[in-house]
Amino acid sequence: MNRKLLCLLPAAAVIFYAVKAGAGAPTPPPAGGTISGKVTYTGTPPKMKPIDMSKEPTCAKQHSTPVMTENVTTGPDSSLQYVVVYISEGDSGGAAPTETVRYDQRGCQYLPHVLPMQAGQVLQIFNDDQTSHNIHPLAKVNPEWNKSQPSGSLPIDTKYDKPEFIPVKCNIHPWMHGYFVVLNTSHYAVTGQDGSFSLKGLPAGKYTVTAWQEQYGTQTQEVTIGASETKTANFTFKALPY
Amino acid sequence: MKTKIAITTMTVGLALLFAAQLPSGSAQESHVGTLTGNAASGKQYYKRYCIGCHGPSGDGQGENAPWIDPKPRDFTAATFKCRSTPTGTLPTDDDLDNAVTRGFVTTNMPSWNPLTPQQRADLVAYIKTFSPRWKTDKPGIPIHIPAETAVTLQSVLHGRELFQKMECWKCHGPAGHGDGPSAATLTDSKDQPIRPYNFSTGSRFKCGETNQDLYRIFMTGVDGTPMPSFADVIQPNDAWDLVHFLRTLQEMHTPELALWKKYASEHASEIKPIGPDAASGGN
Amino acid sequence: MPRRFPIGAIALRWSLIAAFCVACLLLLVTFNRHAPTAQAAPLPSLHVRAIPAFARKYGLPCSACHTAWPELNNFGQVFRDNGYQLGNERDSPIWQNPSYFPITFRITPNWHRESTNNLAVDSIPGGGPGSTLVAGTVQQNGFDLSGMDLWSAGTLYKNISFVLLPSSDQNASWHFESAFVRFDNIKGSSWFNVKFGKFELDNLISEKRFLFLSNNGGLYQGYHYDVPGTINDFGYGDNQLGVEIAGHSKNSYTRYSVSVLSSNDGNPGFVSGFGTPANRGYDVNLAFSQAFNAGSLGLQRIGAFAYIGERPTYFETSTTPDGSGGTTTLQLVGLGNKPFYRAGVAGDFFLKKLELMPMFMYGHDNPYLGAGISSTSALPPGAKPPAWAGGFMEGHYYVNTQNVFFARVERIDVSQQPFVNAGFPTDYGNVRAYSFGYRWYPIMFSRAGLALHSEYSIVKSNGFLPLSGDGSGLQVFSTANPVWSSSVMLGFDFDF
Repeated sequence: MNRKLLCLLPAAAVIFYAVKAGAGAPTPPPAGGTISGKVTYTGTPPKMKPIDMSKEPTCAKQHSTPVMTENVTTGPDSSLQYVVVYISEGDSGGAAPTETVRYDQRGCQYLPHVLPMQAGQVLQIFNDDQTSHNIHPLAKVNPEWNKSQPSGSLPIDTKYDKPEFIPVKCNIHPWMHGYFVVLNTSHYAVTGQDGSFSLKGLPAGKYTVTAWQEQYGTQTQEVTIGASETKTANFTFKALPY
Repeated sequence: MKTKIAITTMTVGLALLFAAQLPSGSAQESHVGTLTGNAASGKQYYKRYCIGCHGPSGDGQGENAPWIDPKPRDFTAATFKCRSTPTGTLPTDDDLDNAVTRGFVTTNMPSWNPLTPQQRADLVAYIKTFSPRWKTDKPGIPIHIPAETAVTLQSVLHGRELFQKMECWKCHGPAGHGDGPSAATLTDSKDQPIRPYNFSTGSRFKCGETNQDLYRIFMTGVDGTPMPSFADVIQPNDAWDLVHFLRTLQEMHTPELALWKKYASEHASEIKPIGPDAASGGN
Repeated sequence: MPRRFPIGAIALRWSLIAAFCVACLLLLVTFNRHAPTAQAAPLPSLHVRAIPAFARKYGLPCSACHTAWPELNNFGQVFRDNGYQLGNERDSPIWQNPSYFPITFRITPNWHRESTNNLAVDSIPGGGPGSTLVAGTVQQNGFDLSGMDLWSAGTLYKNISFVLLPSSDQNASWHFESAFVRFDNIKGSSWFNVKFGKFELDNLISEKRFLFLSNNGGLYQGYHYDVPGTINDFGYGDNQLGVEIAGHSKNSYTRYSVSVLSSNDGNPGFVSGFGTPANRGYDVNLAFSQAFNAGSLGLQRIGAFAYIGERPTYFETSTTPDGSGGTTTLQLVGLGNKPFYRAGVAGDFFLKKLELMPMFMYGHDNPYLGAGISSTSALPPGAKPPAWAGGFMEGHYYVNTQNVFFARVERIDVSQQPFVNAGFPTDYGNVRAYSFGYRWYPIMFSRAGLALHSEYSIVKSNGFLPLSGDGSGLQVFSTANPVWSSSVMLGFDFDF
């Protein structure tokens, strides 16, 4: 009797571990397609101007060289920065993610200059400066509000329910300009200094990709990708010197 | 039997026909006090009284708009200066009625008090038809205004500290004359130049004239203008202190100003000036 | 043989012209009904008031202050009671662009037809041998001008208002209709305002701001009526010279006024309405009105007034040789004042788009005024104080801000004849008046105003000439018969 039980033990162990291994086996990664590319310009863009922050010494002293305006920010090889590229059609969007997005007021600048987020996603606004700011997003589709945020106060938590490109300004410091870009999709990117973007994790299908630049407006392209396919979509904006 | 069926059918048919002709039910309404205003009546009053400035589409593009400063309110944006509700929320019907009744001092918006309360309630109902936001959003919940604290020197002095700390002087200026360092570059939400309130002029604000009104103004903000809401950053008791201090900036006979003048004459050397280099309160 | 018209050529011509007028009116009404909303007497002293200068100053359309200009709605009444101020701290002229000028012009070029019967007319035109005076009808028609208002009104400073209104008849013969300074909201209270100069009496139903313009319709009979034969020149609708203390609640629901006026019926230069020297007397006018909010029906207002005055019965004179053997007697100052009074109640009722304005009035003159004799003499036996009672009911129907129909029925009955009318029929001096009309305002903006005005009025005056002055200079043929006078008017009333 004892011998039979002992023989069962290794079998039980094998079965136990097999079941455990089977239950814990990792699921294979989703077949994600990618649309990537670069946003560039042709023509002559306007020269960005240095910002005079002398009216706010606590901010001026944070910048060894003056900060430049950011409405048309270019990079090497005619690249455009701060262009929001996103899927405008073909993607259902889904529920807002639980992660928050963060917006900072530092050195009397908005960081990042352009902040994309999903409709319904929580946005946290921080004042990292020694001075008061008032945060005044000029929404037209969403409600327009205006709140004071003195130095050292708690971050402001808010969210936007409808997609919109919302200019943000501070009335106290009129040179501060930024954007909240509220989108219906989780597939978006903001171009960096080299103008490149990459939209990952896209199921196979037909998509409309839109690129938005705050001064030059929008451009769209239709891209069809298969499963796990990578396609390139480049955007070129016509730049005017003013 | 057949005739009975026929008659019943006809009656039902007629009833349905009548039902189809009846007004569709929930035309835009307003509730001001005990009155119910309706937009259909409000429309004819709007065409008589309001259309010249606010325009036939309620967008503030009336024929007189180019010659008016500040510009008439754009009702399609559903952004209103004077509310009892938090910034970014819709005003209550009573807020709109108060605005119409009181008018806006120093602007072309008259006090429509000579109209009957019913006429004004009807106008409020019609104004709400200009923006789709009234169908999708509810008005905000009016902020709670606690009982006013006592007017004491302590309150006035603390209010002065808050004026410094909250940096009100950056727009309104150290003496509240609307000449702060940021005043000259202020623009409203339509990019029109706008000046901050100069406390030394007159006794009325655009959104009222009592201490309660003053409390409400900076706790709900003046939407559509650079004036933000301080509801998240000022406590109610502190807010009353600020109200008491703000009264000392106005050229009126107020107990607040009397207290301040007495203090200022006796303790002149101790008073730190308001502004960027003040030692108290930072910046 | 060509078929002859069954009616005479002249009558045919008139039918065609009448048909043309009616067709024009119908066309205008038709076009106006489908048009999108557009973004709005020769009686020398009877002009009507609407002032686009205010609309330009404040950027409001005419309809904001006027039910149908020139009649005021309650918002306009409050504006007027405040001294033409909105109370927004921007009323003082220093706040206006220097190119703003508070000036307005108004005139009504028109076509009209007047017809008055029972007038003494020569049976043979030219009055040659064999001609006698017979009862005739004098009719005249043609294109014409109205009188003109050239007025300036507004503020000299915050809470100091003014009006300056020179007015002319259609031949540009000028007089001062109004000219006053008003101190508003004294001590910060709307209950205390002082007006000084020549101004309209504070009546609930204003004749200066009503909708009638024709010869016979453009006046309220009771506002200018004195029993024929009395030596009283007073008209309740005439602007008077004096000082008025007035007050109103903030929304003008409650209004009062007390005025002290010179007894010269508003004629400057110490002259009476008859052209004779005025007396040294003073009249008093009291007025009060109260409005009630009737919910969706609109505002309802009732009021009462009393005017107590005095007029002279003889003159201080100077009789001197005239240099050719005779003497001339100069009249110097009116003396022997005897009193009279007028009192009445009026209402202004709104039933949504229908406005009804009833008015009842009673007039009573001292018997000396009715006898026309000096107060130093004894009254002749049987001399009674002339008295009359009258009133009207006026109605307006406001289709919308740019279309209004109006009508009025009025009557005056003499309840007591003066001594000078002894032997006349008891209904001598009675009046019946009927008017109706339509105004269309093709534009309703804030810079200027225009109205197409059409009106018909007919007045029956028993045995005396109509107050409109039609037939003036003529004699009534028979004081036992009524005089019928009618006016038809079609004009363009514009106001800049």
